[in-house]
Order: sequence, then structure tokens, then C-alpha cells
Amino acid sequence: MKIGKLNLNFKNPFKKENFINEGMSRKRLLKDILRNLSTVIFALFCLFILVYIIVYIFTNGSRTLSWDFISGNYQETSVSVRAPDDFSFDDRTFEFTKEGGYRSEKWGISFIDGEDHSGNPTVFIYEVCDNSYFNEFIDSQNNVYTSYSSEEYVANINLIVGDSLELLSDNDGASKIASTLDEASDVTFLNIKTLGRGIRGSLITTLYLILITLIIAVPIGVCAAIYLSLFAKKNKITSLIRSLIDMTSAIPSIIFGFIGALVFIPFMNAVGGTSGGSILSGSLTLAIMLIPTIVKNTEESIIALPKGYMDSSLALGASRTETVFKVMLPNALPGIITAIILSIGRIIGESAALVFAIGVSIQDSIRLTGSSTSLAVHIWSILGSENPDYDSACAISIIILVIVLVLCLITKLISYRFNKKFKGAR
Amino acid sequence: MKELSEELIIKHSKRKSIIDKITGFFFLFVALICACIIVFTIVFIIVKGISAFTNTYIDSNGNPYKQSFWGFISGMSYTVTNYGALFLLINTIYIVFLSSIISIPVSILTAIFIVRIAPKSIGAIFQTGIEMLASIPSVIFGLFGMGVICPFVNDIATSFGLQTSGGLSVLSGAIVLALMSIPTITLITITSIKSVSNSYIQGSLALGATNSETNFRVVLKGAISGIISGIILGLGRALGEATAVSLVIGNSFAGPNFNPFGIGSTLTSTMMQGIGESVGLNYDIRFSLGILLMFVIVLVNLILNYVKNKITNPYKKSGVLLTFCKNGVIYIKAYFNKSKDNKDEILDKDKEENNISKIENKEDRKDENR
Repeated sequence: MKIGKLNLNFKNPFKKENFINEGMSRKRLLKDILRNLSTVIFALFCLFILVYIIVYIFTNGSRTLSWDFISGNYQETSVSVRAPDDFSFDDRTFEFTKEGGYRSEKWGISFIDGEDHSGNPTVFIYEVCDNSYFNEFIDSQNNVYTSYSSEEYVANINLIVGDSLELLSDNDGASKIASTLDEASDVTFLNIKTLGRGIRGSLITTLYLILITLIIAVPIGVCAAIYLSLFAKKNKITSLIRSLIDMTSAIPSIIFGFIGALVFIPFMNAVGGTSGGSILSGSLTLAIMLIPTIVKNTEESIIALPKGYMDSSLALGASRTETVFKVMLPNALPGIITAIILSIGRIIGESAALVFAIGVSIQDSIRLTGSSTSLAVHIWSILGSENPDYDSACAISIIILVIVLVLCLITKLISYRFNKKFKGAR
Repeated sequence: MKELSEELIIKHSKRKSIIDKITGFFFLFVALICACIIVFTIVFIIVKGISAFTNTYIDSNGNPYKQSFWGFISGMSYTVTNYGALFLLINTIYIVFLSSIISIPVSILTAIFIVRIAPKSIGAIFQTGIEMLASIPSVIFGLFGMGVICPFVNDIATSFGLQTSGGLSVLSGAIVLALMSIPTITLITITSIKSVSNSYIQGSLALGATNSETNFRVVLKGAISGIISGIILGLGRALGEATAVSLVIGNSFAGPNFNPFGIGSTLTSTMMQGIGESVGLNYDIRFSLGILLMFVIVLVNLILNYVKNKITNPYKKSGVLLTFCKNGVIYIKAYFNKSKDNKDEILDKDKEENNISKIENKEDRKDENR
């Protein structure tokens, strides 16, 4: 008996030929399993990469990330002070307000042990009393130096103990410095430094960039989206406008950086009186880069609204303008917010365009008309230097990553709720 | 209560229509500005990029010199005397090709898993993961590349007995680019797989194909145009990516280099290289590289679109005959040079047009009622 390819020999059911077909199906089964397995493996690979990136960034950066890091200056500062020439002790007493630390009751100062960025022991200034002798010390220009802070550490200190000169540095520890200071009669040299490599400047720049870019880009993008979704007739000009805006989003960001360098930097130099790249020129560059994103998202959310909204508002006697501003826009707000959030994510992460449109030099004092770096460019800048500072880069990446991933989840939530709201109505 | 006279209503509605017109023109104006961005961008880059060949520059010894266009377009080294870009072009395409070998299979298989194989909740988790991966900025990929992938590539190289310069290599660049384009391709493939008609799947299963055979032979074929669009976008991202690549590729100034473990450079990495202290021709020539980059992107787009049309329209000479009823009139439409597979699309399109015309009719009637 022969059914298709299957030969059935009823006299001997266990004959090999009977299983030819089964053998084929086994092959199919194997292929099936291999195919399914390959999809599982590659999907897990993608998830693994995501987890690996997050774990790598967090393990390397979490040690460096601290409030001092966020609020500190990037540039290291170094000040050398000494006791004035006519220095002598009087019978003043000192009141320490802070508990702990190694105090020098004779001088009115206390020190504490700490670590610098690479984990080496350092001696930080813990407290300087108001009437301390240290507040009478003078720097190299013979000005009285009083602006001690807890971010400063003692790099070197030269003391006169009895007749000999004691040279101490931050390797000696706080207790040694404090006790030696109590025996000393004069301080001939004190070098105090701050650790630097903080990101305050870049953080403020990023916030400015987000604010100014959105102020420029959102109104323009929303207006264009309103035109395309509510006013435009279906003709060739409209489809041309739409496809040109779509094409804009396909341009790589480095090309927008070129436009920033070619158009906006000279423009701001002429109008705003800046010299070279500035936060303003960077914001303009980011704005033209983000307009397509905002247009697309807003347009989609307006189109997704139930058609009855527009019609019923018009039927009630409202003009088109009133309908747009009082009915359509408020209802399309989730889409606009999504667009804004996506834009914020892109501004935070953008680096190539800003390298050209602002510059790569990391600054501490931020002016709108001055050059500085955003957090992403900060990372690129320190990674591109001779000795890449991975810890610092990872710490900044934590900030960027947390913001970006949270924003990503928020957009998902908004679009989920938006779709749920209009599911029945559409 | 004041009675509304007819005059007042007309006056009011006239004013309204004027305001409507003004706002309409305003919005049109803004939309035109948005559309002009790309035109201006291209014009400015081309003008500035060409000016690098027409301007005369002064070298460090005070002698004037010019960059020849031929030297740029055919040069195999990027030095002060001649900024050649041909090797950059070749290396860029090579690196993006390497990255696509990794990214395309991974993306497509991941998308199949998320849509067709995984249970809904697990698929949603994976999709969220991919979306998160897509939202990670490129500079963090660069950091990850420097910190993890470069040492990894270095280990591989040493196990083959090869030397790398600390892992900075063409392969590292390709891997980083692949990781960056995977989410783009995956997300678009997911959408296009989801939009494959259920009847194809049911039909395939009914004919006795297994689930995985259906997924690989039917679903992928149905989604191929979407997948190619995803690949176009992914490769576009890879070609235009600058910061991450410039951190891991090593920036060579001569080439092309086809050794995966040797240092290389791409158009974008060369644009970024030493930007802080570049002046004169060294700065201006980057815009010429920008023209080249846009040219490559457009070229890759055209080629892939051609492939897409080739694949999705295999029966070019066949036609489709449609008969349908619209507003009580029977239409017969003949479509030529369209594939049979497109029939559904055409029908859908016509249905859409039908709907729209119906809605327009309704509006007409409303106007009459007024």
C-alpha cells in the first residue's frame, strides 16, 4: 500500500522503509528546534547587551558619583598660602562647631582623612574656626585668604617646629598634620587644592540646552504639525512638505553640527555678540534637528483623535482656529508631551552635533553666550583625551542613562494611556 | 436678551473666517520653514564643502597652497599635504558592511521571537528592553565599546596570536555600530511582522507547515518590505554615527584597512578627529567629507530601495483587475505593472478612498442642512 511517499508494509510494520517519513519529520523537527532556539538566543543576546551596558556603567561609575562630583568644578584649583611675616600667637581660644576630625587647638583648624578620585588617601580641611589664625594667612599676592572650604585638601604643608623645618604632605594623614601643627610655631608654606573633575558646568549647560531648544523647537514643530494634520489639503505640495520633513530626520546629527558651525555660530556672533560657539548656537542647532521628531509625534497624536471632535466643534459654531486651540490641541497633549520627552532624551544624548555647534572645552562658569559642553560631549571629551577617565565617564553615564531610561518608560506609559482612552472612540 | 440679527451673524462669521485664513497661512508658513531646513542644510554643506577646493590656504611655512579635488576624491592617505578621502569611503562601507552582517540576522531573529514565539508578556518585556537599548545615547555605546568591547576584541586577537593597539580596531567599530543599529532594525521589523496578514499565517499552517516554517518562510516574506526599510534606517544610523565610532576605531590616516584587528577610520570618525584644535583647510575639508557622507547615505538608500522593489514586485508584468461598487456606480479598474500580492493593498487603498469620499459626502450634506 502506498500513501504519498509513505510506504506501508503491513506484513512487517517495523521495516525500515516505514520510517523514512518519520526520519524526514525528525529532520524537520530538528530544524524547527534550531530555528526557534536561534531566535531565543539572539533575543536574549539583545537583552544581555542592555543589561551588560547598565551593569558596566553602574559598577564603574557608582563609586565616583557623589554630590561633590555633581556640584564640583571640573578644573582643579590650587592655592598657596603662608602665615604673614609679622605673625605671632595671642591668647585667643577656638570654638569648634563640628564634631570629629583631628583638631589643632593651637591654630583653630581641623582636618579629616579622605580619598581622592583614584582612591589615594588625602587630608581634607574639615573646619576652620571664624577667628582661626589661618584666616589671617596671605597668598602669593599678599591678599588675605579666607575662602577655605571642605572640598579643599592639603597637598603640602611646611611647618617650623622648634628650629627645624617639617615638610608634610597629604600622605601623612590628618592626625599627624594636626599634631605637628600643634607643636609648630610658624607655617611657611601651605598648598591647598580642590580635586576638580566635577560636572556642575556641563550639567547646567545641559539644562540650558534642553530649556532653550524646547522653547524654540516646540512651538514651531507643533504649528507645522497642526498645519499638516488639520489645515493642509491633500495635494502634491502637502506631500512634498511632509516628505521633506521626513527626510530631515534621516540626516545624521553630525551634518546638523556642520550647519551649527556654518550658520548658527556666525549668526549668533553677529546678533548675540558671542565669539565662537555658544549655548545659544548649540540650542538653535538642536532645535532644527528635533523639529521633525516633534512634528511627526504631534501630527500622529492629532490624527489619532476621533474625527468627531473636529466635526462637532465646528458644528457647534466654533471657528477652525478656536477648534484647533481649544479642542484638538488639549486632546493631543499626550502626543506633544511624548514629543517633548523624546526631544529631551535626544538633547541629553546628543554629542556629534554639539561638538561642532558649541565646542569641546569643558567649562566651569557657564554663560549662555559662552562655549561649554553638555554631559554627553563631556564624556566624549574626557574619553578622547590621553588618559581616558573611565570612572568619571561612567558616573556621568549613570546620570544620562537613568534620565533617558526613565523618560523612555514615561513615553511608553503615556502612549499606553492615550491609546486606551481613545480606543473605543476611534 | 438681545436678538441675533442676521447681519451680526454674517459679520461674526466673516470675522471668524478671516481669522481662520490668517491662522491657516501662519501654520502653512511655519510648515514651509520646517520643510526648508533640509534644503538649506544640503545647500550650505555643498557650498562650504566645495569651497575647500576653490579657496587658497596658507601652510605653516607661509606658502599658499590648494587642495585638489582629484587628490581628495582618489587619495589613499589623509595628511596635511593631501587630504585624500577614497580610503575613508571604502573603509566606511566595509565597516558598515561588517556591522550589518551582525546586526541584520540578530535583529530579524529577535523580532520573530518577540512577535511570533514568545508569550505576550515576555515579548512585551523584550520589546521594552529593545526600546530602552534604542534610547541609549551613542556616546554611552562609545564608552561601553572602549571599556568592554575593545578589551574583548584584544583578547580574541591575542588568542589568534595577533596584535591590536589596545583593542582599537575595525572590528570593535563594527561591533559597536551593530549594537547601535540592532534596536532600530528590530523595532521596525517588529511592526512589519505584526502587520503581516493573519490569513497568510493561517493558510501556511493549514497546508501543514510547522510554526517555525511559517515564521521563516511566510511571515518573513510578507514582512520583507518593512524589514528592508528597517535595514535602511539601521544602516543610515550606522553610517552617520560619529562619536561612538571615533572612540573605538583608532583613527588611522591611511588605508584602506581590511584587517578586522587593525586600526581604521570612517568618514565620520575623521570628521570628529582633533576637532578642538583644527583650523584652516583641516577644518574646511570636514565639510567636503560631509558631502561624501550624504552621498553615501543617499546611495545606500537608493540601492536598498531598488532591492526592495525587486523583491516585493517579482511579477512586474502581471496586472490586477478590480471591480468594485462605489456610491452606487460599478467601477472596473485595471492596474498594470503591479504584483498580484499588491492586490490587497490596492483594495485597501480603494477602501480608504471610499471611506474618505463617504465622509466628504456627509460633510457636504451637513453644509446643505445649514
